[in-house]
Amino acid sequence: MAKAVIEIENLVKRYKELVALDHLNLTIREGEVFGLLGPNGSGKTTAINCILALLHFDKGSVKVFGEEMQPDSYDIKRKIGVVLQNVAVFEELTVQENIDYFCSLYVKEKSVRRQYVEEAISFSGLEDFRKFFPKKLSGGLLRRLNIACGIAHKPKLIILDEPTVAVDPQSRNRILEGIQKLNRQGATIIYTSHYMEEVEQICSRIAILDQGRCVASGTKEELKAMIKIGEKIHLEAEEMTSEQMEGIRRLRHVYQVDYQNGMLKICCNGGKHNLVHILDYMTKEEISFGRVYAELPTLNDVFLEITGKQLRDSAE
Amino acid sequence: MFFKLYRYSILQTMRQKLTIFWSLLFPIIMGTLFRVSFGDFMNETVVFHQIPVAYVTEEEQFDAFQAVLESLEEEEGLVELILVDREEAEALLKDEKVEGIYQRAVSSAAQNLERETIGIEQSAEDITLTVTKKGINQSILSSVLEQYQRTFQTMEHIAREQPAGIEAAASVIREQCQYLKAGTISDTPKGDVTDYFYALIAMNCLMGVIMGLQSALEFKANLSPLAARRVMASTHRFGILLPDLAAKLTIQFLCTVFSVCYLMFAMQVSLGEKFPLVLLTTLLGSLVGIFWGFFVGAAGTYKETVKEGICIAGMLFSSFLAGMMVGGMYRFLETHMPVVNRINPASLISHALYSLDIYQGYEKYAQCMVSLLLIAVLLGVCGFALVRRERYASI
Repeated sequence: MAKAVIEIENLVKRYKELVALDHLNLTIREGEVFGLLGPNGSGKTTAINCILALLHFDKGSVKVFGEEMQPDSYDIKRKIGVVLQNVAVFEELTVQENIDYFCSLYVKEKSVRRQYVEEAISFSGLEDFRKFFPKKLSGGLLRRLNIACGIAHKPKLIILDEPTVAVDPQSRNRILEGIQKLNRQGATIIYTSHYMEEVEQICSRIAILDQGRCVASGTKEELKAMIKIGEKIHLEAEEMTSEQMEGIRRLRHVYQVDYQNGMLKICCNGGKHNLVHILDYMTKEEISFGRVYAELPTLNDVFLEITGKQLRDSAE
Repeated sequence: MFFKLYRYSILQTMRQKLTIFWSLLFPIIMGTLFRVSFGDFMNETVVFHQIPVAYVTEEEQFDAFQAVLESLEEEEGLVELILVDREEAEALLKDEKVEGIYQRAVSSAAQNLERETIGIEQSAEDITLTVTKKGINQSILSSVLEQYQRTFQTMEHIAREQPAGIEAAASVIREQCQYLKAGTISDTPKGDVTDYFYALIAMNCLMGVIMGLQSALEFKANLSPLAARRVMASTHRFGILLPDLAAKLTIQFLCTVFSVCYLMFAMQVSLGEKFPLVLLTTLLGSLVGIFWGFFVGAAGTYKETVKEGICIAGMLFSSFLAGMMVGGMYRFLETHMPVVNRINPASLISHALYSLDIYQGYEKYAQCMVSLLLIAVLLGVCGFALVRRERYASI
């Protein structure tokens, strides 16, 4: 088993009465792309700030690369790259100057730094914008600059806190490909996002936080196996009587049936050949149907089932 | 590394148009407006007229007080000494040819003088001063006598034992007289006008609060994401902060020097002949400005706009107290609340510049500079202590 890069044990962080992290336990191993999911205010950013020794916490311990993380753990900090939720660059420095500035906070040797800066520019696709000031960049380019500033010094652990917010699909795709590339080059990644498809695409292991607790963790498959939904079947049907609906509901593994605007949606909890059984029933009942498709549960289903569909809106 | 970060901080600050406007262009615009408004007053030549005074002495032997008066006449140009007998002195006073009469031998002096107006007779030791009206000149003559009486014993001793040392002893009185003379010059319209320029330069130095504040805001992780990224780096905190503060001090100082040169050479505002010391004053003033802003930025977790408001209001109020908006404020406070002038940075800067221009000695100047240095050290140490806290309760 790969060695642990981050070990969080019983971490408790309170903001007065609000418990932001409630005995959080997490272990992130070398080489992983670890997705940290959770609704707003679930404690994702607080957890990251505690890992980085920016925040005081009330209880527990945080170890990074096997050592207790302290604000003056400069040797550990050298191995960490951080891409924050908000773009954090100097407005008055150009793209190249910004990357060089942040790289120089980690890398002292001039020739090495120059090489790293060039690689970061190339990695983030900013070659044509190196003399541009941040305010002249589009949202996507700005996000890429933000990432370049965080990874230029070639860290072993990269923490990305919602790096694709307000970014167009092309830029998002580029960023995700870049993250996978960094991982292939040996970096361990911690990735937080609200976009489930992104996390599903790049993360090898995922933890779902809710109200400061880790409510589920594992691989995508493990998480999907935890929830009730096994398969969702959609059929275009012309007319359905309540008796026919009830008949479908009585089929094996079916636990939910909805009919809206000519579309029948059937949820099954596991089992095999569910679609065959449903189509058999439709034929027998002489219900005419059109397009039919089935889908496996997504991470979004996992997320909503585990954290609930109630709206969240509190400070993190 | 220091110079790399210093260079980037210089670049970053110089590209901030608003900061450069306040630190460089605003004082130049204000200076130009002042110069245009005070045009005629600025061209007025201030001449200090020596105070004619009669000295009546009947003693033949060496007279220490006479030596002091002669010294004040020759070295300082403060008095115009006329040695006459008593009758002639009284006649001169009546004709207003002299402002007062110093005389020895109280028993015989001034007894026959008809006191038409105010008869002021100061009797101590055996020298008296007789004047017939009240005014600045009479106050100066009175002060000279008071100073002499305070140091009388020493003077007498020196005069008898080491007559050559009387010159050195007289310097004690002369120094005090410089202040009296300076006071009379300050009462002229030109004196008031020059005060505005001193206060303007002081305000220019204190514009550094904006840069100092920015430095703190870009360093406290609970105030900006940029600061969070910087403090998460593997460079020691002060290794990041010091080049930044040094760069901001450099720019603020250069802006102030440019403004001072503009005032002196383009606007022909006289700031005295001690240019290097003027620069030293602006350097220390800029340091106070930078550390002031840095301290405000480092203290508390208020929003950036609130801190900006505190800094700008503080800087303007300090400049107001130094006479930037109302001339003569320094002297008003000196009379009613002198402690304000001792702790207000703008007053200290403007008075340091004033002292350089007016006084020959450096005592007053040094006092101002030491006070400024203490303020800078206090603000700097407190600011550093506040940012030294490395973990935050919330971000």
